[in-house]
Parts: sequence; C-alpha cells; structure tokens
Amino acid sequence: MTDAPDAVVSAFEAERRRLLHRQWIHALLGVGITSVILGLSFHQSQFFDPEIGANPIGRILEFLARMAPHLRTEALLEGREVDGSLASWFYDLPGWLAALWETIEIAVVATVFGAVAAVFASFLCARNLMPWAPVRFLVRRLLEAIRTVPDLIMALILVAAFGAGATAGVITLTIATLGGLGKLFAEINEEVDPRQLEMLDAAGAGPVSKIRFGVLPQVLPNYASYILLRLEINVAAAGALGIVGAGGIGLELQRAITYTEFSTYLAILLLMVLVIFVIDMTSEAIRHNLLLRAEKS
Amino acid sequence: MMNQDATPLPSPLPGLALRGLLTLGGIAALIAMMVDLGISPVALAGGFTKLGVFLLAMFPPSDGGDLPRILKSLLETLAMALAGTTLAVLVAAPLGFLGARTVVGQPAFHFLFRRMLDFFRGVPVLVWALIFVAAFGLGPFGGVIALAVADIPSLSKLFAEAIENCDRGPVEGTRAAGGSRLHEIRFALAPQVAPILASQSLYYLESNFRNAAVLGIVGAGGIGFELEERIRIFAFDEVAFIVLLYMVAVALLDSLSRRLRSALA
Repeated sequence: MTDAPDAVVSAFEAERRRLLHRQWIHALLGVGITSVILGLSFHQSQFFDPEIGANPIGRILEFLARMAPHLRTEALLEGREVDGSLASWFYDLPGWLAALWETIEIAVVATVFGAVAAVFASFLCARNLMPWAPVRFLVRRLLEAIRTVPDLIMALILVAAFGAGATAGVITLTIATLGGLGKLFAEINEEVDPRQLEMLDAAGAGPVSKIRFGVLPQVLPNYASYILLRLEINVAAAGALGIVGAGGIGLELQRAITYTEFSTYLAILLLMVLVIFVIDMTSEAIRHNLLLRAEKS
Repeated sequence: MMNQDATPLPSPLPGLALRGLLTLGGIAALIAMMVDLGISPVALAGGFTKLGVFLLAMFPPSDGGDLPRILKSLLETLAMALAGTTLAVLVAAPLGFLGARTVVGQPAFHFLFRRMLDFFRGVPVLVWALIFVAAFGLGPFGGVIALAVADIPSLSKLFAEAIENCDRGPVEGTRAAGGSRLHEIRFALAPQVAPILASQSLYYLESNFRNAAVLGIVGAGGIGFELEERIRIFAFDEVAFIVLLYMVAVALLDSLSRRLRSALA
C-alpha cells in the first residue's frame, strides 16, 4: 500500500499521455484532411493559376485604380460636360434613379403578393390548423423546394418564359418570398395560443372564422415584422435580377460592365448600396417599434 | 346596469373609415406600381402558358449524356464555396476583433466600423461577381473573390458580436496571471469564440453553396454556367436534371454541416 500513490500517479500520467497523444493524432488528421480539401478547392478556383492567381494583390490594386472615378477638385461641381466633375461621373443619374425606383417597385409588389400567398400556404401546413397530414407534407416539401432553387436560376427560366423585363423579376421574387415566408408563418401559426381556437370551436365557428378571429389577431404583428425583413432581402435581390434581364438597376450594372465603364459601375453600386442601406435602416426602426408594441400589449 | 356612469364608448366609425381609406390607398398604390412595371394580364397569360410548356418539357429529366461534366461543375461549385468561405473567415476574424467593443474601446471607431459593415452588407453576390469577373477574367477566381467580399461584412459583424458576448472572467484571470494582450486573446477569448466562429462559418458555407450556383451566370464557372447554357437552348429536361442533382447536393451538405455544428455545440 505504501507505493500505491506512486503507481496511481504514474498510471494517471500514462493515461494522460495516451489521451494527449490521441488528441494530437486526431487534430493532425483533421488539419491534414481539411488542408487537402481546401488546397484542392483553391486549386480548382484558379488561385494557383500562373495567369490569374499570380500577384492577386497587384491585380486588385490595378482593378481598383480602374474603378476609381476621374475627379478633379477644381471641377468637382461643374456640369456634366466638364471632365472630372461629379456630374460627369454620375452622368446618367436620372436614368439610374428611375431604374432604382423600378427595382424598389419590383421588390414591393413581389413582397405583397408573396406574403399573401405565404399566408395561405402557412395555414395549409400548420399542424394546429390543417388536420390532413398529406396536405401539410406536400405544402411543406413544395416550400422547401422553392427555397433550395436559387432565385436567379428561377429568374433565368422565367425570363425565358415572360421575356426580358420586370414581370419576370416580380414573379421570381413572389415565388421566392412564398418559399421563405410560408415556412416562417407556419411556425408562427403553430405557436398560437390554442385556448382561443378552442373557444371558437366551442362557439361553433367554422374554419374561416377560426382563422379570422382566433389566429390572425395573434399572428399579425409577427407577420408584419417578417414581411418587412423580407422586403429588405427582396430589394437587394431585385438589384441583382436585372443582370439576367429581369428589370431594375441590374440592367444598368450589366451595361456598365459591357462597356467596361468601371467607374460608372462604382457610381451605380454606391447609389444602390445607399438605397438598400436607407431601406434597411427604416425597416429596422419600424420592426423595433412593432416588437416594442407587441411586448407592451 | 353596466354602463350607468361610464362615458359612452367612442364610435368605431372614424377608425373604420380611416382603415378603409388606408387599405384602398394601399391597393391603388400597388396597382399603380404594377402598371408602371408593365405587368399586364395578357403578358402574364402568355408567359404562364410558355412556363407550362417548359415545365412539361422538364419531364422526364435527362442528363443529356454529359453526367461527368455536370458532376465536375457541381464539385467546382462546392470548391468555390469552400474557397470563398475560407477567404471570408480569414479576413472576417481579425475584422471581428477590431469591431468588438470589448477589444478596441474607441466608441467613434466602433460606430464608423459597424456602419461601414452595415453599408456593404446589402450588396448581392452577383453584383460583386459581375465586376470581379470583369476584372479577373472568366473562371471561378472572380467568383470566389465575390463570395468572400459579399460575406465579409455580415460575418465580421457576427464575429464581433460573439466576441463582445464573451465571458470577461477568463480575460481578467489571464491579466491577473500577468498575461499580455495577445495572451488574453489566445487563452481567454479564442477558446470561447472558436466554436461560435466555426458554426457560423459552416452556416456561411451552406449559404455560399447556394450563392455559388448562380455565379456561372456572369461567367464565374460552376453549375450556374451549365444551367444558363441549357436554359438558353431550352433544354429543360437537362435543366430539371441539374436542378434536382443540385437540390440533393444542397441537402447532403446541409445535413453534413448540421452534424458538424451539433458536434461543435
């Protein structure tokens, strides 16, 4: 018994060494496998390509230089014809603003229709409102499928069907909104207080009255905040849709690239980012307000 | 009996009228926007008829005898997503430390830095890709840079928030033991932040796999290029095949990443 503590300590030390050893091997294996996969990925992405991957910093700097607008401080506020003025940089400001407005319209119309469709879809797949499991299953899978297909791929197909223009963009974003909001709304519906539904059941209400008086009053504030969030997403998404011909500011971006007017691209990008930023901030403020009011009541 | 001395209830009519007016105004604005966008019932009917034809042409899906090439471009898309996410994390992690109020205690800097991240957060990845492909030439390189650039603002913000929410105890402990600023980050902050960073990065990998699928539209390679090519020649059976294959790939990657994330938590 006298040397037992030593034996215990050395056994413990051996066990600890063994564990540490194993941890090391695991870590090394993990790092090895990950770096091989990453190495392959970067190789596939032309990062080690002598023509493209070489000197990437230099290329980025060169590209930034090409993107920088030609501005002269003494001519900054001159008219559009004067080289080096702000007006010559933003030479088609009214046209771009019109295109941006179109982008916003696409987002708003699509958000409204998508949200309405999502409300219907969400009632069809909420466990407490739709008694038939097969319907719930089908609607849920459909919404999932919509969420998986990237909206720009959908836009490509819809542009082929509806022709270039805003219509294809609106339909794309309507479908995407249905997919995104439908799932969120269904989750909100399932959290509804069941007592009010039971009361309406007891009073002999039909399914429509149940939704109108039992569900909607409880869920509308949450719906509103998700719809606003979706509007923010849709404005940004609509900005890209024009690149595939579905209307809005993206068309102007595409045109600037086609004519290699990189400084014009920067100008339009800045305008677009500004609009998205303002809409995000406004909508965020409204959403906070909604939340506060919902908490108070 | 009940309302003896109560003031009479206010009439609901003004409120109802106001609500009705607002609703009507909203509907009018919506219709005005639709007219402005040129959405006409005739165009809609024609478009949906065509769309129906396309959908019918999607069955049965077929690989067009080019399965190896499709699989290769699917792998390329995954490679782009991995490379883009890695780049984004490598840039966003230090930016996150810079943006955390608890690491850099300059309120003005913190405000400006966060606002700048917010400002660039909204730019869609395709908009970045368009310019980077123009700058770097056709191929995945520009697409990867675009994925990274699009992620960096929001990822940095998430990282900064994770760092701010860290428990201060270990930091103070390290300082009390005589550790330097770097020791604090290495031994007090990093062990707390690393699992959160890893799981957020996995989320971004999932979302980048979705984003990377559209980059081919502007010439950045991957599955998007194959899709665009086939939509252009109306080969919808092959489009359906690629989309289905892609959906399976997304589901696989999502479940793998979910498993990794729950192992991290």
